[in-house]
Amino acid sequence: MVDVSQHELVPEHTVLDEEILEDVLEEYDIDRTDLPKIKRTDPALPDEAEMGDVVKIVRDSRTADQAVVYRLVVD
Amino acid sequence: MMQHSTPKDIGSIDFGLMEPEEYREMSATKIITADTYDDDGFPIDMGLMDPRLGVIDPGLECKTCGKHSGSCNGHFGHIELAAPVIHVGFTKLIRRLLRGTCRECSRLLLTEDEREEFLGDLDQSRKLGRDLNDVTKAAIRQARKKDRCPFCGEVQYDIDHEKPTTYYEVQQVLTSEFSQRIAGAMQGDEEAGVERTTPDELAAETEIELSRINEILSGSFRPRESQRKAIEKALDIDLTDEDTNKLMPSDIRDWFENIPDEDIEVLGINAERSRPEWMILTVLPVPPVTARPSITLDNGQRSEDDLTHKLVDIIRINQRFMENREAGAPQLIIEDLWELLQYHVTTFMDNEISGTPPARHRSGRPLKTLSQRLKGKEGRFRGSLSGKRVNFSARTVISPDPTLSLNEVGVPERVASEMTQTMNVTERNVPEARRYVTNGPEGHPGANYVRRPDGRRLKVTEKNCEELAEKVDAGWEVNRHLTDGDIVIFNRQPSLHRMSIMAHEVVVMPYKTFRLNTVVCPPYNADFDGDEMNMHALQNEEARAEARVLMRVQEQILSPRFGGNIIGAIQDHISGTYLLTHENPSFNETQVLDLLRATRIDEPPEPSGTDEDGEPYWTGRTIFSELLPDGLDLEFTSESGDTVVIEDGQHASGTIDSEGVGEFGGEIVDTITKQYGNTRSRIFINEVSTLAMRAIMHFGFSIGIDDETIPDEAEARIDETVADAYDQVGDLIAAYEAGELESLPGRTIDETLEMKIMQTLSRVRENAGDIAEEHFEDDNPAVVMAESGARGGMLNLTQMAGCVGQQAVRGERINRGYEDRTLSHYKPNDLSAEAHGFVENSYTSGLSPREFFFHAMGGREGLVDTAVRTSKSGYLQRRLINALSELEAQYDGTVRDTSDTIVQFEFGEDGTSPTLVSYDDDNEIDVDAITDRVLDSEFDGEGRHEFLEAGSEATNLSEHADSRRMDRPGTEVTSDD
Repeated sequence: MVDVSQHELVPEHTVLDEEILEDVLEEYDIDRTDLPKIKRTDPALPDEAEMGDVVKIVRDSRTADQAVVYRLVVD
Repeated sequence: MMQHSTPKDIGSIDFGLMEPEEYREMSATKIITADTYDDDGFPIDMGLMDPRLGVIDPGLECKTCGKHSGSCNGHFGHIELAAPVIHVGFTKLIRRLLRGTCRECSRLLLTEDEREEFLGDLDQSRKLGRDLNDVTKAAIRQARKKDRCPFCGEVQYDIDHEKPTTYYEVQQVLTSEFSQRIAGAMQGDEEAGVERTTPDELAAETEIELSRINEILSGSFRPRESQRKAIEKALDIDLTDEDTNKLMPSDIRDWFENIPDEDIEVLGINAERSRPEWMILTVLPVPPVTARPSITLDNGQRSEDDLTHKLVDIIRINQRFMENREAGAPQLIIEDLWELLQYHVTTFMDNEISGTPPARHRSGRPLKTLSQRLKGKEGRFRGSLSGKRVNFSARTVISPDPTLSLNEVGVPERVASEMTQTMNVTERNVPEARRYVTNGPEGHPGANYVRRPDGRRLKVTEKNCEELAEKVDAGWEVNRHLTDGDIVIFNRQPSLHRMSIMAHEVVVMPYKTFRLNTVVCPPYNADFDGDEMNMHALQNEEARAEARVLMRVQEQILSPRFGGNIIGAIQDHISGTYLLTHENPSFNETQVLDLLRATRIDEPPEPSGTDEDGEPYWTGRTIFSELLPDGLDLEFTSESGDTVVIEDGQHASGTIDSEGVGEFGGEIVDTITKQYGNTRSRIFINEVSTLAMRAIMHFGFSIGIDDETIPDEAEARIDETVADAYDQVGDLIAAYEAGELESLPGRTIDETLEMKIMQTLSRVRENAGDIAEEHFEDDNPAVVMAESGARGGMLNLTQMAGCVGQQAVRGERINRGYEDRTLSHYKPNDLSAEAHGFVENSYTSGLSPREFFFHAMGGREGLVDTAVRTSKSGYLQRRLINALSELEAQYDGTVRDTSDTIVQFEFGEDGTSPTLVSYDDDNEIDVDAITDRVLDSEFDGEGRHEFLEAGSEATNLSEHADSRRMDRPGTEVTSDD
């Protein structure tokens, strides 16, 4: 099977630690349910990601070099 | 007298069902008679027009609130329904509840655990902002699977729903013909290969005693359920019939009343606000008369509203129902009347239910009932709330006026004196205000209304204007006419992008059209072939300020679509600058002054040199340089292909054409806007367009048939290439017919032939174009336009002078028409060029009839395509706008929707505005140049002063104001006379 997370076009997905997550939520003044969502079954997710986790996605951007996005893992 | 009531603050809105008791409480009166007015024309008490329901006739007093018509909003009444009826709006929910709850104990058919699970899912969905329906639907699906109630053990039956409002319980019962069916199945079927079954075998297989089997077969014993199932299984037959039992609304109401509150929470219903039994109506609210006013016709007859007609029907049936029931009428009649009552209540709410004949007016027109008032394009939502008509707006034909600034709009006097601006009179503007009022409503800068400090509004007329003017004093308000310099909003539909609605400054003009500068045509996508545009006069100071700062045309020069300028020189402006700068012609002083007369420059610059007579001369580029801001450095490749160099605001070399000053990303306009600001850019565009017009008039620019005619010798050469191509096509066809043509990879032989023919023929047009081009001088107007990018391209020239070329429909040569041929002029299966739409003539030489026909086929496809494309893309855009309309860039840089869910963590990933950043495929953002510029302006002597104190030039000033402000000597044009 192909592991899509290794593909060059798939950006890096990492599960966020609870403390860092607190900071992120603080920064944007939101609940975690206000984050964009990602499906648990998404093949780009790392194996350890579970429902309720927040993943940090760092993708290459044409204008900003790197763009950081956070997503809440849902079922 | 106008009563000023303070606007009420809406704290919250609850959505839910209404309790019958609530209908009764808010009701002003019970309605019992179907009649409206008595013989004397007075409304009947407890009738449909009861005076307690509100007033519509002026002069009368409302019996409930004491107010008069206009201020009384009306009051609801109610009808006590003789029997409960189903509310059509909830039929789906009723069906779901019937299917999901127990027919005996009314509890939801879910075990405690399942219930907890769905409640959790519901919570989760609510938090994530998902559709709750998905969960509740799943819950019902789960509940329907149960055969027996988990609480009372009652067997559950299927619920059938016959649209719109009938429900049946479906039971499977033993058919009366069971013995025949069993006997038939025991016979077997030789054709299908099913063997005969003897009663012994059946008894053995079903484990029923043989005597019982015989009794069953004779029909004297009805098999029990378990026996029935065993026989069904053994013989593979169905012994059941459906028994349907109609559920009356009253049964459903009783059923629903017993559903416990906790159970409906699982279905997403808040039991405190909405009990399911309230979906079955026992009381019908009667809308106030103000919602269904009756009209008095010319002949004195009253004509009632559709809703009133419907209510009359309901009351009549309701009464008949009661009478019949009291008289002890048979069940059948009662049921008929009940159904009729249900029909009338249903159509009262929605008269467009499928499967139900709509209630009609005497004339045969379907009645417009409650739902029809709300639904659709002309309904309350789309027609009356989102699509309100506005005051202070005007619409008329537009026409061009190159003498206006691009910020301005010419407004006809007629419009200017209809539309007003409110002027608050203070001590300082009393004389001004009086002058307006003195002029009256007809004289142009006049006034239409005044408002006294006590709030009374007076109309200014020709008669009272002088008298009124004297009374006007501080504290009054004057509604004065639009005058030069007022700001208005201008719009052309379809409003597809931001720049379709821009703010302009008024210039009042004679005649009846709106006038606008031609350079604002591209953002509005306007032309002057009869286009009309709308104007809106702003009514408060805040709106005017906002429009001036944010919406003025000059603020919209850069388009957020591609980051370049969308406003710039167009058409003849580009031809003009091309003529002025391409060969860099010379001009004498008179000519220079003429070229620059509509600009701020009224002294000729340093001459470029002197001619042999010792007279000074100026080159076109020198003149163009006068318009450029000092210190502008730029280098780019022009549309005509040469390199344009601008050094320190001086145009050194190259041609100024569409790449330089054009409307979609003209380099010079773009750079000036980004580096010198919108105001400077507006001045530049205005001046370029006027200079270009002067230039093109100086040189003269026209086009005629002779400009596209080429010498006979050239025409002969074109004919030759056409003939050559025909030969080649002939050879290809011959090879194809001889079966010698080799197919290209992945193509059939036919496709290969088509491709090769197409290739050959398209080469003909190219060659013809090349030959024609050789014979065009560089000063040929069509060539000038094509090369400068003003209008048209070399292809248009080729088609005019050389050869029109192959016509295509759906990307292929023309293949349609008759069987095996395009037209009856050709032999069947003729594959030649001329039989499939090749046009060898040029537009100047004229097309043959057959060519003309093929050309029309190709042209028609183009028209159809554009028509289809606009409707398709319009719908796509509508959907996109609806999906994205609530997204907003927040102050913290994120993009969120109205529920604060984040959509982008940084606007556009980089947090920059597309209009303020410039880069393209070749050039990334030049960060160094930007920092240099910022540092320069901040730390260099003079620049520092400007950066820190004056800042950028104020952008919100009226054009007339900033010409006064820019107190540069000689900027103001002073008249000699």
